[in-house]
Amino acid sequence: MKRNYFYLFVAAVAFIEVVIFSVSVDIVDPLPSVLAIILGILGIYFVRMHLDEVIEDERTQKITEITALRTLQISWVGLFLFALWIIIEALGEEFRHFNRPLGIFGFRLLAILAGIIVLYVALSIYYNKKYGV
Amino acid sequence: MKNKIKVYRAMHDLSQEALAQKMGVTRQTILAIEHGKYDPSLILAAKIAKLFNVRIDDVFLLDTLEE
Repeated sequence: MKRNYFYLFVAAVAFIEVVIFSVSVDIVDPLPSVLAIILGILGIYFVRMHLDEVIEDERTQKITEITALRTLQISWVGLFLFALWIIIEALGEEFRHFNRPLGIFGFRLLAILAGIIVLYVALSIYYNKKYGV
Repeated sequence: MKNKIKVYRAMHDLSQEALAQKMGVTRQTILAIEHGKYDPSLILAAKIAKLFNVRIDDVFLLDTLEE
């Protein structure tokens, strides 16, 4: 399969996924959406294995690496600020009226962000060992 | 990093697409290397030099001022 046909296939799959998702919402049943996502991923993976042309090489991998890192950094900072704002909102004026559900949500978000840092450090140590001495 | 890929391509009558296919990369990667926007890995540089039957430093020139 040619590269352009592959991109058309991916676009068609995405369109079908959106249609199935909206039907799924209408009938209040998540099963069609879940099945569609799994089948879509498998379909794209299968078609990608049978491509005639190269769509990924060292340059695209480098672009992906940098893009992923920047996305992680920007998302992390954005979510951290959002979590702080939520906690400040939850504390209320002069800390008298603590909005417990909102506060818990804010602290959970901070915990997830801390978990992301732990995961990043763990992966960093692993790859340092793998590609180091 | 400067390079003479375009010159060697012309000498071997190879298009960017043909060179990309032989190297297992996209045409955009060859274009980016030729324009100096992307420095290839050592393996890719060695494969390109081998294809043209020259040494790596015949094709790729380290720009000392830039580095």
